[in-house]
Amino acid sequence: MTTLNINGRNMSVDAVSDTPLLWAIREQLQMTGTKFGCGAGLCGACTVHVNGEAVRSCQTMVGDVAGKKITTIEGLSAKGDHPLQKAWIAEQVPQCGYCQSGQLMQAAALLSKNPNPTKEEVVVHMDGNLCRCMTYSRIQKAIMRAATEMRTASVGGNERRPT
Amino acid sequence: MNRHVKVTPQTTDLSRRSFLVGTAAAGLVLGFAGVSGIDQAFAAASTNFEPSVWYAISQDGLVTVTCGKADMGQHIASTMAQLICEELGAKWTDMRVQLASNDPKFNDPVLGAQITGASWSTMMNFDAMSRAGAAGRMALTEAAAAAMSVPAAELVVRDSTISHTKSKKQMSFADVVKSGKATKTFTPDELKAIKLKTLDQYTMIGVSVPQLDIPSKTDGTAKYGIDVMLPGMVHGAIVTPPVRFGATVKLVDDSSAKKVPGFIKAVTLDDKTGSTTGWVVAVANTYAQAKKAAEALKISYDGGANAKLSSQSLLDEAKRLQGLSDAGQFFVKDGDPAAALGTASKVLEAEYTTNINIHCPMEPMNATAEFKGDILHIYSGNQFATRSGAIAAGAAGIDPKFVVMHQMWLGGGFGRRLDADMMVPAVQAAKAVGKPVKVIYSRENDMTMDYSRPLTYQKVKAGVDGDGKLIAISHDVVSAWPTARWGIPDFLTPSVDKKGPLDAFAVNGADFFYTVPNHYVRTIKNEMAHNATPSGQLRSVAPGWTFWAVESMIDEIAHATGQDPAQFRISLLDGKGKNDGGAQRLRNTLLAAMGLSGYGTRKLPKGEGIGVACVSSQERAAASWTACVAHVAVAPSGTVIVKKLTVATDVGTQVHPDNIRAQVEGAALWGLSLAMYEKATLKDGGIEQTNFDTYTPLRMSQVPEVAVTVIANGEKPTGVGEPAVTVVAPAIGNAIFNACGARVRALPITAEAVKGAMKA
Repeated sequence: MTTLNINGRNMSVDAVSDTPLLWAIREQLQMTGTKFGCGAGLCGACTVHVNGEAVRSCQTMVGDVAGKKITTIEGLSAKGDHPLQKAWIAEQVPQCGYCQSGQLMQAAALLSKNPNPTKEEVVVHMDGNLCRCMTYSRIQKAIMRAATEMRTASVGGNERRPT
Repeated sequence: MNRHVKVTPQTTDLSRRSFLVGTAAAGLVLGFAGVSGIDQAFAAASTNFEPSVWYAISQDGLVTVTCGKADMGQHIASTMAQLICEELGAKWTDMRVQLASNDPKFNDPVLGAQITGASWSTMMNFDAMSRAGAAGRMALTEAAAAAMSVPAAELVVRDSTISHTKSKKQMSFADVVKSGKATKTFTPDELKAIKLKTLDQYTMIGVSVPQLDIPSKTDGTAKYGIDVMLPGMVHGAIVTPPVRFGATVKLVDDSSAKKVPGFIKAVTLDDKTGSTTGWVVAVANTYAQAKKAAEALKISYDGGANAKLSSQSLLDEAKRLQGLSDAGQFFVKDGDPAAALGTASKVLEAEYTTNINIHCPMEPMNATAEFKGDILHIYSGNQFATRSGAIAAGAAGIDPKFVVMHQMWLGGGFGRRLDADMMVPAVQAAKAVGKPVKVIYSRENDMTMDYSRPLTYQKVKAGVDGDGKLIAISHDVVSAWPTARWGIPDFLTPSVDKKGPLDAFAVNGADFFYTVPNHYVRTIKNEMAHNATPSGQLRSVAPGWTFWAVESMIDEIAHATGQDPAQFRISLLDGKGKNDGGAQRLRNTLLAAMGLSGYGTRKLPKGEGIGVACVSSQERAAASWTACVAHVAVAPSGTVIVKKLTVATDVGTQVHPDNIRAQVEGAALWGLSLAMYEKATLKDGGIEQTNFDTYTPLRMSQVPEVAVTVIANGEKPTGVGEPAVTVVAPAIGNAIFNACGARVRALPITAEAVKGAMKA
């Protein structure tokens, strides 16, 4: 038994210490928002936060994160209303949606440290996250939108752009 | 209550296929509804108003649409809801979607089966969903008229409310459903007679409403096949052999696996469906344990007949076959190219190739199987429930009518989930251990066991007369045949030389809309490639390679005869004879892309070039007219940077403009990814690339500027998921030629090939 602090709660998982965090989260805790994509840290679908840093949960072992603060997509916001999540909806980013939990967690780690990223900084930070539907330009736009919203903390920035 | 209106198949341009596929599907699924126990497999609500199988309105006024198509990110469930919503008169925020089971009542109204692909869904369901929506509105209106004692003709339906202006009376949909008075049913003839809205009356179609599935894809709540959890379920990890197809398991030594905690059993598949060869499933309590056990299994194989083959062997075989005058079958046979080439003043000849490509959707293949009484339940995101259910049944050794497919959201499809190989390990493992089993492919399994886009080889000969007029094209296409593999004869097309059926999904697109008086297209099945690398339908299928050859050659002819490549295309799109209609639409689309990109209006710096291409993907009978102008910069090293892609597409009628743009942009970037970054190779019978370090789809840093323009001219809606994939590679190749004089004829395009062609 290992105790993990996930999304602010302590939860015990029946997994040996070299079990990838990804599978402990998905199977033992049945929080399936975090996705399996490659098992090798090459695609970013499994991205979660450990002590605020974006990490690949398929490459992170349960034994290494006991006692650390883990955040998954389920814990990014209380009601799915993190500025990034709102921006993802406003920009209608997801297609199949499978990579998007990882994209959101990766982006959230950027904005928590850099509230005013340039486009180049966004690209560098996000380049490890694959999207096979190729929603990249909308991901970029949504990150910029969320960054603006977080900086101005304004409301009502949620309307669709004209098409 | 609970009366169903059967929505009958509608005739379309594709009526031949609709009849044939309907027949084929009937052979796969029989008597489903008559099987005892199946009814209990579906929850039935009795207090809802269900004017059609496609949706139900609950007492709280929510309209839940059941989508019979696989939703793999094209938001087709939301699109179906939008079509129904338009005619029903519901408020968009009242609309909900759910995914259908494989009950034949949810079959595609045109295709007569549950299959999602070829960018067919909107065009084939537009009429049926519209009529279903209208029928519901009429039934609700009639009931409301009776309840309010006013003439039905004076009622207005809007935003889920039925109002009578004169008396100021109104009822919500919820009120009418609660009253229990909405009971009108429609015969097929009555449905057919319904007068649908005209273009100018639309208030929903053409509006970019928020997609209903998107919120659940931003908070982790959308459920994909891989997320299925069943009580008592255990997990399977598969071990696949080093050879893609044809290996057999000689011996499984599980002595080390037995030491892995949680390990239950190693199951060697006995697959009579021909989907897999030489696979073993390691079953354990958790997936992490199953994975460890899979790694601990020691398996020896007989590699089989394909164990020595490589990409080079497949290419050599393709060239050998192309050289045989009696090989293959004819797809197009107009005039006499041999004679015309004999009299031509100039003859061009070129070979075009594409390498093996892998779908690799982000959600690796998976399936969960559970036997409950006589019924086999399958949970998986799948594009072809009708066939996949039959494969699952075959793996279980039961009749297909006992299989219930539970559809999930698809974490990418792109054609990969038309196949059903993932059913086999799940079913046989579940049977072997007597528990529900979820099998998940590792990325390595997923890549090396893909039903890939095949390696293709094409040879094109073209002849021009003394005036630079194109008089002949002779085009040979050699490849594995992706659809023939399914063994459903009605998916094949008769050859024009009556040499038996051919797989049009290996050659579509070669029957272009240019006027060429002498035009032969021959398609040759590369049996060696077909056996060694079973191919599948990769987003856009044949037009992804045929237009690479056609649109490159058209450019080569233009340059050889001193004509502007775009103007040359326009002159060939004269709409004569069989090309009338389509040719003009394609010409207009090309002109739109040229206009949007500023074609010919700017002088480019040295090393930069603009290239054009235009396509009638996916097939002549159901084309979305698409053109691309690519702008590239080529370094002296041969390195190509794609600066901008401008894509125009004529979709007839647009249901959801923003979604069309998203699909077209995604498709264009797929085209770029296939053109520049994706290459798989066969060595010793196995696919060499195993993960995203060696098979490398486009990443964010490689995305150029993409400009999309959509032409909606009021014609019937066409598909948008695929056509833009096919137009990008030739546009880039043609741009590279204009930038530096290097003609590339092999995909993917490499710096090495560009540099080599510069010197030549």
